[in-house]
Parts: sequence; C-alpha cells; structure tokens
Amino acid sequence: MNAPSGLDLASIPERIQAEVQRAIQRSIKGVEYIASSGPSLGSTPKDILSVRGTMNLYHYRPMADEIYRVPILIVMATTNRGYILDMVPGQSFIEFLLKRGYDVYMLDWTAPKPEEKSLAMEDYVLDFIPDCVRQVREDSGETDVTVIGYCFGGVLSLLYGSIFAGGPMKNLICFTTPVDFREMKLFQNFSDKRYFDVDRLIDSVGNVPPEMILSSFEMLRPASRAASQVQLWENIWNDEYVKSYRMFDRWATDTLPLAGEYFRTITKDLMWDNKLYNDAMSVGGRKADISKITVPILHAVAEHDHIVPYDAAKPLIQKIGSADKEEVMLKGGHVSLVAGANAIKRLWPKLDSWLGERST
Amino acid sequence: MADKSNDPVAIWQNMIGEMEKGFNAFANKAMESPEFSRVVNQVGGVSAGAQKQLGDMMEKYLVSMNLPSRAQMVSMAERLQSIEGQLNEIKAMLHQIHGQSGAPAGGYPAAPRPPRTKRPPSAGGEQK
Repeated sequence: MNAPSGLDLASIPERIQAEVQRAIQRSIKGVEYIASSGPSLGSTPKDILSVRGTMNLYHYRPMADEIYRVPILIVMATTNRGYILDMVPGQSFIEFLLKRGYDVYMLDWTAPKPEEKSLAMEDYVLDFIPDCVRQVREDSGETDVTVIGYCFGGVLSLLYGSIFAGGPMKNLICFTTPVDFREMKLFQNFSDKRYFDVDRLIDSVGNVPPEMILSSFEMLRPASRAASQVQLWENIWNDEYVKSYRMFDRWATDTLPLAGEYFRTITKDLMWDNKLYNDAMSVGGRKADISKITVPILHAVAEHDHIVPYDAAKPLIQKIGSADKEEVMLKGGHVSLVAGANAIKRLWPKLDSWLGERST
Repeated sequence: MADKSNDPVAIWQNMIGEMEKGFNAFANKAMESPEFSRVVNQVGGVSAGAQKQLGDMMEKYLVSMNLPSRAQMVSMAERLQSIEGQLNEIKAMLHQIHGQSGAPAGGYPAAPRPPRTKRPPSAGGEQK
C-alpha cells in the first residue's frame, strides 16, 4: 500500500510518541490549571495619586535614568480594567514605556457603585479627565501632557481634547477609537432604537451590569469562546500558551459595569444619533467638535478588529483638525493590537518612534 | 519539515479554526436582522428587569442572614486593593526615611525623579 503523497511514514512513530507525551502532560497540567491561580497582573510599581469613586489615577515609577519632558496620561476604556496594558513583566506596555524613558500616568476605572448610577458623560469629560490632567501637571511639574486613549478611552480623550482645544494636551494617541458609530453594525443592531428601550433599562437596573457588557462583546464572535477552550485543552501542556491564555481570559471576563446616565448618553448621542461623526456632539452644553483638535495625533487601528471595525475608526483622521496626523493600520485584533506578542513587535516600537520625537 | 496537509493534528486544528470562522460569520449575518434585535431586546429587557429584581431580593435575603452580598464583596476587594497600594506607598516612603539620618525641618523630600532631559534617538539622544 502506498503512503499518501507528502506523508512521511518514518516520522509516524515519533509523532505518536510526541502526542502520547502531550496527552500525559495535558492530564497533569489540566489538574494544575484548575488548582492554581493565574499570573499576577498589573504589578509594575506604581503610586496611587488619586481615588475618587470610579476614578483612579496612578503614577508608575520611572525605570530609566533620564526621562522625556512630557508626561503621558493613559485614559483607559470605561468597560475594562487598565491591566491589559500592564500584563506581566516583558509583556507590559507600561513597562515598555517606562524603560524607553517615558513618565507614565494612568486613569483607570473601578466598577461604579449603585449610587454612582447618575454619573454622566459630563463627569467623565469635564471632571475626571481634566482633574487627572491637572494632577499630572502638578505631580510632574510640566505644563504639557500627552494623552493616550484606548477604545472608548479614545472617544473620551477626543471629547476632552475638542472641548479643551486650547491645551494643555500636547499630543494625542488613540488606539482603535470609533467615530462613525453607524459602522459598528452589530452594536447598532443590538441597540436598534425601535426595539431597545434604553430608558427602561437604565431606570430599572441603574448601572448596566457587567454581564450584559460582556455578553454583547461575546455575541460579536459567538463561537470564539468555545473554540478557545478547545485550543486551551490542546495546548495545556505548553506553559507559555496557558499563561497567555489565562492573562487574556481573565482580563476579557473582568468587564466593568457602566454608569447608567453615561450609558444612556452613549446610546442616544453616539449609537442612535451618531453625533460625534455628525459634528453635533456636545457635553454639558459645550460643543465637542473634533476638528478643533490641532495637536499631533497618531491613530492606531487593527486590521481584524471585530469590536471597532475599520470603517468606524477611519473618519477620525479625516475629521481631526491637526496638521500633524497619522493613521497606522497594524495586523491584529482589537486586543492583540495593544497587548501580547503582536503588540510588542508592531505597535509598541511604532508608538515609541512617533512619540519620542514629540515628547521633548 | 512534515507536510501539514497529512498531519491529523494540523487538520484537526485547521478544522476547528474554519468551523469557528464559519459559525461566527453565519451568526453575525443572522444578528444583522431586525428580527434578531427585536427578539434579543424583548428577552434581554425582561431578563435584565428580572435579574435586577432577583438581585434586590437576594441582597435583602443576605442582609437578613447577616451575610455580605456579591456587590459588597467586590467593593471590599477594591478597597483592599486600594489599601494594598497605599501600604506599598508607605513602604516606599519608609525605605526612603530609613536611608536618612533624621527628618529635615521641611519634612521628607519626595522620591528623587530622573531628569526630564531625554532626547529621542533621531535627535542624537542616547538609546538606553
């Protein structure tokens, strides 16, 4: 009997042996997986500068002998925890920035409490971000600040930057930031005005529960969780794979609730009326027109982003008022753009070369 | 290198990947329909309301049993994290104080920070 073309008969016993070894390892490591806790995340040394309700401002301790003049304030997305940018040593964006000589601050969020359900867009854009910028300036002794916003943190940064166009923001970096919400097709359908009664939801639950946020993200890729479990089992003998899986899985499921009033505005002004794209957005009665932003801007988007599709993010660079503006599309998805092996290789060095020149 | 087209493990992995992609694409297509939105929002609205009521009832029950609720446990964990952070800060300050012979009249100085003189490599700055 002839072997099918390309099949190396001599390698079969070797292959079987390797698979048996892996099967044994899977059983051992599978037990270890259940019995152990995951890696410790977000452990880059930092000081807490301020805690006020859902708002937390950290300052990371510098790791270089000499740092750039302009400090960075990272504005995290309100749906997720900031440790996606500070996973484990060697895979931490924060650590990378510190080692490259940046002075890094982060505006991170904790779950809004039931009594914080009335927090509105105004609180985020006109109070929390300006307060953090003020504290960064005070703590660093510098007047200029670079703002980096991830996902919805990017939207908040755009709103802040357009209202406070006179400064002190010196540079703006956005990661996967949507502007044209019509193009977030599935989210549009989930929040279809005809069937989705946002008022009734907020009036009955107060804050939007994290389970609801998580399931809306998971519904975008309904088969992916099951497939990732299969892949985990296949690779459970591989310690590096398991470590990485646990880090990302823990972060992805550690979703935050959203303050009710804030969610109401997101739904009505952004999802339904697409006001940011239509130049009709205002926050607390102050017009937020992104064409007013004139500082240097870098917008990093991911080629395979299923949460913020490229068409939703594309208008940012077209609409912004800056002369010094750049969009960079990198391989990867919504999360792998900023964290993990893909980010280490692609986004981080790109950001360093762009920002270094603008941080003196 | 072995030919992957005949490797059963590679075939299996490829099949899982393709199934995932296919199912996601199919589901996304189905989810684009207004009918889907109507049904999901009907069910979701009812279940969110019911969940809230159940949560409130559970909270009352736990209070009557003198037990903490999940929200209280989460809040406590966050407080603990914040306390841990502040302890770390105090530890850092203590280390700093330990290295000094006595407190200066104006209090303890802040931790020394590196100079803000770094230049980018393109401007002749040193790569460290």
